[in-house]
Amino acid sequence: MFHGRRNRLRIEKSRLIAILAALTLTAGVAGCGLGAGGDGAAPGSAGAKGTTKPLTIGISLSQTGAFSDPGKAAKRGYELWAAVVNRRGGVLGRQVRLKIVDDASQPNQVTTNYQNLITRDDVDLVFGPFSSLLTIPASQVAARHHYAFLEPAGGGPKVFEQHLNNLFFVQPAPVVKQGEIFADYILSLPPSRRPKSAAYPSLDDPFAAPVADHVRRLFEHAGIKTVYRGTYPAQLTDLTPVASAIAQSKPDVVVGGTQPEDGYQLTRAMIQLRYAPKWLFLSNGANAPADYPQRVGRGHVNGIFSAGDWFAGSAARGSDEFVRAYKARYGGGPHEIDMTSAEAYACGQLVEQVAARTGAVDNATIVRALRSDSWPTLVGNLSWDADGAPRGSYLLAQWIDGRLTPVYPPAKALHRPVDPKLAWSR
Amino acid sequence: MHSAHAIVQAVILGVLTGGVYALMASGQTLIFGVMRVVNLAQGALVLLAAYVAYSLTGGLGVDPFLAIGITTPLMFGFGVAIQLLFVRPLGAGDRAELSLLVTFAVALGIEGLLTVLYNTTYRSIEAPYADASWSVLGFQVPAVRAYAFALSVVLLAALIALLRGTRVGRAIRATVQNPTSARLLGVDVDRIGAVGFGLGAATAAAAGSVFGLVYPFNPSSHYELIARLLTIVVLGGLGSIGGAIVAAAGMGVISSVVAVTVSPVWADFAFFVVLLAVLLLRPRGLFGPALRGAA
Amino acid sequence: MSARGGALRRARSGGLWAGFFAALLALPVVLNAHWLLNIAVFTLMFAVLATAWNLVGGYAGYPSLGHGALFGIGAYAEALLFAGRDVGAGYGPFLAAAPIGVAVALAALPVAWIAMRTRAEVFAIVTITLLFITQALAFNLRGLTGGAQGIALPVPPFAERTFEWPYYYALLALLAVALGAAFAVDRTKLGSALLAIRADEDKARGVGVHVTFVKLLAFGLSAAFTAAAGAIWAYYVSFVYPQFAIDPFIAIAMVLMTYLGGRATLWGPVLGAFLLAPAQQLLAYQFGSSRLYLVAYAAVFLVVILALPRGIVPTLAAARQPGPAYHVSVDRVRARRERIGS
Repeated sequence: MFHGRRNRLRIEKSRLIAILAALTLTAGVAGCGLGAGGDGAAPGSAGAKGTTKPLTIGISLSQTGAFSDPGKAAKRGYELWAAVVNRRGGVLGRQVRLKIVDDASQPNQVTTNYQNLITRDDVDLVFGPFSSLLTIPASQVAARHHYAFLEPAGGGPKVFEQHLNNLFFVQPAPVVKQGEIFADYILSLPPSRRPKSAAYPSLDDPFAAPVADHVRRLFEHAGIKTVYRGTYPAQLTDLTPVASAIAQSKPDVVVGGTQPEDGYQLTRAMIQLRYAPKWLFLSNGANAPADYPQRVGRGHVNGIFSAGDWFAGSAARGSDEFVRAYKARYGGGPHEIDMTSAEAYACGQLVEQVAARTGAVDNATIVRALRSDSWPTLVGNLSWDADGAPRGSYLLAQWIDGRLTPVYPPAKALHRPVDPKLAWSR
Repeated sequence: MHSAHAIVQAVILGVLTGGVYALMASGQTLIFGVMRVVNLAQGALVLLAAYVAYSLTGGLGVDPFLAIGITTPLMFGFGVAIQLLFVRPLGAGDRAELSLLVTFAVALGIEGLLTVLYNTTYRSIEAPYADASWSVLGFQVPAVRAYAFALSVVLLAALIALLRGTRVGRAIRATVQNPTSARLLGVDVDRIGAVGFGLGAATAAAAGSVFGLVYPFNPSSHYELIARLLTIVVLGGLGSIGGAIVAAAGMGVISSVVAVTVSPVWADFAFFVVLLAVLLLRPRGLFGPALRGAA
Repeated sequence: MSARGGALRRARSGGLWAGFFAALLALPVVLNAHWLLNIAVFTLMFAVLATAWNLVGGYAGYPSLGHGALFGIGAYAEALLFAGRDVGAGYGPFLAAAPIGVAVALAALPVAWIAMRTRAEVFAIVTITLLFITQALAFNLRGLTGGAQGIALPVPPFAERTFEWPYYYALLALLAVALGAAFAVDRTKLGSALLAIRADEDKARGVGVHVTFVKLLAFGLSAAFTAAAGAIWAYYVSFVYPQFAIDPFIAIAMVLMTYLGGRATLWGPVLGAFLLAPAQQLLAYQFGSSRLYLVAYAAVFLVVILALPRGIVPTLAAARQPGPAYHVSVDRVRARRERIGS
């Protein structure tokens, strides 16, 4: 017995030594790989001008795990931009190389990934992850190493409350404002045609719930009565009871603070229960041009409202080129392109424009340039406040003849809003 | 205040949901019964079957309910294979603990495989009657849910008939009650273990088609499924199919009513609290056999 | 069991400890790369967690799947204490980890007392249920936790070049304390009592072990280290969301690492964490985009359990031992029980 115990100790010891040796070895190899002085200095600042070495951009996307779905459309947008810009000869003559890694939807992994991208692989630039909950940990790592952090996904209040000076949310406005454009439209109607009562179901998510809350405040201020307010959890949930409770409260308008999946679910539950409000607005899900009709039925979409920043037929900068390139690479018509792809593509457009104007692509220049001006992109003219919150507004879209069409504000609309009567209303 | 109408509507929806969970949970509790193994892969097996059914309906135009005829034997074989390859080699002394890990690894493997094959987009099985619904006495009953519930009841009845009416079934029940005396009575407990695992997987197959019709799913949906299945089988009493059915119906109704009367965010919470309260009074669950060491 | 043997053993053991901690103390200076230190921070964190889990799941044989809840409560406690506050030089939040650990452990004891009335499988399920309840509370008690919006922690003014060092050394200190506690358990009657409970709780009671007290003591120690690690984690990642702070995967990682290294052994959990934590982070980084990473992970997982069901440390010990291959920990249970009986 005693003998055995001593043996055990000895074995543990030799194992430990082996492991420590391995760790030290890894460290040594890594140290060589990093090169002398590569650590700590402001990245991409030295020798950026005149070099022809590829411009590497690191991005962590969720390709497995809970948030992986939207990551796919973002990946398309990033890769499309890289292909387009490389065909033009790159950024300042440097070919763009994307290094896209998987964070498995885990915060520890996203921290590790941005640490690795920045301090191991020494990428020139980073773009944000495409799972909004991972934005904050990732932005902290980027800020610590003085990297500009262009991110197309995390636009909730807490992101901007960090007061980081390197962060830029690449959409026209903070997500809270997604519903504001709908409220503006409704309140632009003559009082007699406005809804009298409203229901506000929302997903318990930092990027969805604030949308419904914001609209509720605006509507309540205008005298529209709140008859239902409810938050449902993000897990696999049966939304039929929610739809059933909304139906019982008989609101004129339903304003859903949704993400894509629960947006589809809520619509289907309403259809199954044969409940149709006079107006239906969903902040996300209903703005997925291909997936929404596929998931809720083509015959059901007309009249429904949502919000967004890029639509087929957009006159925004580079839109035609984007659509052409998308078709050539992935196929499909402009009406099937997810706006997430456009938002990711817009990150690239910003880098390209800053480089063209300043002749540099280092992080400090990008931060300074983006702060000081307004920049035209696929998703509109973008400018930011000190916390990285964009100063513009979203477009209101409505499903008309089976297509998602911007309808408000009139200056940017491609069509007038139509009768919001839903196909399954009785 | 919430009208009686709203609560009755919630109860109807809750019972319909509970039926589908009862089918999934019956397989889980059966596997525990014959093997003393908590199968953490049951949710993943349901998903695997749902994906097969998805391919059959989407690719070949098979009706999702008919697809069950194909997925069930496939999954039976798969369940037997898991038992032979991964569960049986575990030493009897450590089986309870190690099987948690092994079946979790199987679940991860299935998730990984489904991620590679189907990627992580949410899918749902589309049937022509997906959005149909009936109005009964002023209450809405979605057709898909009603069919799913009816099918679950039929399959559960078939499972119980199999367990009560056939020789294999009796051998399984004897093993569930007491493996040692079953062995003494001449039951090949190892073989019954494999058959039980296969049957558990087969119910997952049937449940998969039904589940995929009602809920959208992606490869990582199995975590939420297994969390619910575990609470159902523990509440019902590990190894008790009747208990699983009662607990599943209870979960469906409690969650649905709480969702309507309080808030959906408290729905699962309410059920978990019920579970803990029951375990506090009866550590073996509602209908479970006494377990070793239970106080 | 001669006195000389004992002295020799103590000397070897002391040498091992000194070497282990000296190497780890020197590591940040040697590594000098953020990305490696970042992985080292997570690795140390998991070493603490696995060591803590081993006290309950390994020695006592109560496979908790709910330790993620304790971790998360520790993380939330840290976040609530420091959100919106000025942390000065940035070291206060590390000191807070200790009282947070103690407080969480004390608060968890009544729940543990109830949960530990059940055994093995049911205990595993009850604990995972507790985890989901805790997560639901974190989501729903918005006034306290901020709900799904989460809570931001202050960012300390550490220099960029050595940013990870304070976290690293705080976790190393925590690991030293946790290993010290595990050592005390392993080499005293407490460990024997836990192993006896694991082997057969009724018999343990029969031979005079204060079963409830011993189980709760082990659970309390385990909970304290887990929550303290959670507190430091929250400070490191700078933000807590319910689904990340209270995550079933944290508990599952603790279980896996302990099993891989060898449960109910002192160094097994540390070894498991040192192998698995960096491997996981690097594999996901390198091969994540191929999506095969989950399949590969599952395959490794299965092979480890089927080939090394007792974990690395006991398997190696058994292989080196002359004579019939004994199950080391069972062997120890027997020997200990004899001692208790005498």
